[in-house]
Amino acid sequence: MRVFFEQLVNGVTVGSFYALVALGYSMVYGVMKLINFAHGDLFTLGSYLGYTFLVWGAAWITERAGLWWGVLGAILFAFLANAGAGILVERVAYRPVYRAGRLPLVVSALGMSIFLQNAIMAVWGPRFQVYPSDLVPVASLRFLGLSLPLLKVVILFLSLGVMFVMYWIVEKTEFGAAVRATALDREMATLLGIDVQRVILFVFTLGPALGGMAGVMNGMYYRSIQFSMGWNYGLKAFTATILGGIGNIPGAMVGGVLLGVIETLLAGYIPGGGAWKDGFTFLILILVLIFRPTGILGEKVAEKV
Amino acid sequence: MKSRRLVAFLFLSAVFFWGQVFAEEPIRIGLQAPITGSFAIEGQMARQCVEVAAELINEQGGILGRPVEIIVADDASNPRDSALAAQKLVSQGVVAAIASYGSSVTEPAADLYERNRVVCVAYGATAVRLTMGKERRYFFRTCGRDDSQGEFFARFAVETMGWRRIAIMHDNQTYGKGVAEETKKYLEPYIREGRAEIVYYDAITPGDQDYSAALTKLRESNPDVWYYTAYYPEAGLLVRQAREMGITVPFVGSNAVPNEDFVRIAGLEYVVGTFMTQEPLPQDLNTPKAQEFFAAYRAKYGDIPSSPWPIYAADALFALAQAIENAKSTKPDDIAQAMRTMENAEGITGPIVFTERGDRKGVPYAMYRYNEKGQLELFTP
Repeated sequence: MRVFFEQLVNGVTVGSFYALVALGYSMVYGVMKLINFAHGDLFTLGSYLGYTFLVWGAAWITERAGLWWGVLGAILFAFLANAGAGILVERVAYRPVYRAGRLPLVVSALGMSIFLQNAIMAVWGPRFQVYPSDLVPVASLRFLGLSLPLLKVVILFLSLGVMFVMYWIVEKTEFGAAVRATALDREMATLLGIDVQRVILFVFTLGPALGGMAGVMNGMYYRSIQFSMGWNYGLKAFTATILGGIGNIPGAMVGGVLLGVIETLLAGYIPGGGAWKDGFTFLILILVLIFRPTGILGEKVAEKV
Repeated sequence: MKSRRLVAFLFLSAVFFWGQVFAEEPIRIGLQAPITGSFAIEGQMARQCVEVAAELINEQGGILGRPVEIIVADDASNPRDSALAAQKLVSQGVVAAIASYGSSVTEPAADLYERNRVVCVAYGATAVRLTMGKERRYFFRTCGRDDSQGEFFARFAVETMGWRRIAIMHDNQTYGKGVAEETKKYLEPYIREGRAEIVYYDAITPGDQDYSAALTKLRESNPDVWYYTAYYPEAGLLVRQAREMGITVPFVGSNAVPNEDFVRIAGLEYVVGTFMTQEPLPQDLNTPKAQEFFAAYRAKYGDIPSSPWPIYAADALFALAQAIENAKSTKPDDIAQAMRTMENAEGITGPIVFTERGDRKGVPYAMYRYNEKGQLELFTP
């Protein structure tokens, strides 16, 4: 039983990373109907930016500010810098092809993914980079006989917090109504005087920013980062988004955590399951697409006529 | 051009003639190695090693009373140049070639030597398929095969360390799975005797970052030792995550684990005390041949080679010399036959004996351990 709980905690931890990445994915899809393939690489970019912040700010963190401020600083830095990167990507890769339809947009996103991956490799090198271990807090909590690293708890609550904030923005504010309206019918929204361009920009700013945040936390938690790691996270987050119901914010969160837990439990309990972890993930994707294409929290949407 | 060719021809035939008369025509042995390209340092060290070995042989009277001459060809560590280099050596009439570093580079050359009936001894090509794929009558290697590590680990774990409960983890890729399966195979006799037990045998997903699921399972199997048979990026993460989870079982990595990045990813504090199954590093070889060879090498180049692979190139020459001596002939068929049957060849890395397929028998492996400075140190229990 203890082992089961431990595996559960392991799964929730992995899942909360998937969820954070999935949030940005889902939002972009919701509004743009675009599978943003560059999202995973923006995640990588975020983890490299956080790494650079920690390395450059090492003296400031250890002498003046303390470790937790360093963590916060790195997260904020990656959040803001990635928001900027998101705006740039939108301007360069997406805006010129909006009118051309959905397929060119997807192709452009794929191209952006390849570009970002190679740019990261060119700037930081193809080797693994390792987050400096003396700059990441290692304290842990004891809870019901399990040892939980404090960082794990912080990551979990941070992603939950982010989800609530986003949910609140989209569901409760006037701007959120504009976002929802754009997601439903862009043309109609334009006719009603909604600044669709602003909504799109918002989505492309916040999505990558969240991805960047997830990237830093991922780097702090697992320490070693590499230029190509985003692709895998992108695929997992995509699966999580489908699982939870694409375009749905709580759905992305639920899907991410659920995917992490399922993956971990299957790997942990099926003999020889470790090698099949990614296989399980995509099996889930296929099953959901066949039997419940709207995902767990997705509602049936009437066909537009 | 023509006249220059004529001069060369006359010169060569003069040399040939002179050789005929004095019966001291050198025995030409080729060395194909990456003298340029991304593994240039390996190739250059191989050349130095083979040349020092040739000097030692010549000082002791040569082979069959004839001096050895080494002809070097550069394969730049790529398969295309490899075939060209092999062609070049063949057309220069070598009786045997030492070739090369890297399995995929060696393969096309091995085919070419095979077609031209020239004995080829690889020194840095460990892929199983080179000997176990299609049959080659003229191909040998002095280095180990990717799977012979498994045999070494099984023996070491059970007989030397007395570890009973053994956990084996791999990454489901050719190399990692190969070593894992061989380890399992060689543990079988011990399992039948009741001296060992495989309590965990599973693969992880390469490229992943979170291995807590696999590690929780590993911990519950309560092993005495944990053998990981794949590459360093995952190994680094595994070691760190395991130690952070409080798993203190001894970690043993296979020879693709130890390197600088492994230490960086796992963190020095967790790397200290981890074991590695690895070809013996040059500084830890102490056979009589090794002492003699390293003394000569040091006298010429100031230090001993820093990589284990060039040593196998020198051993290839020592093996060839002994085989030619045994065969009393420089005909490739006789040399190949002698290589298969000889039992008296002494190399720097110990006795050199080949199997029917051309693999080396009893390839030396050693157990290494990381010390406090993050360096590999020979482990003696």
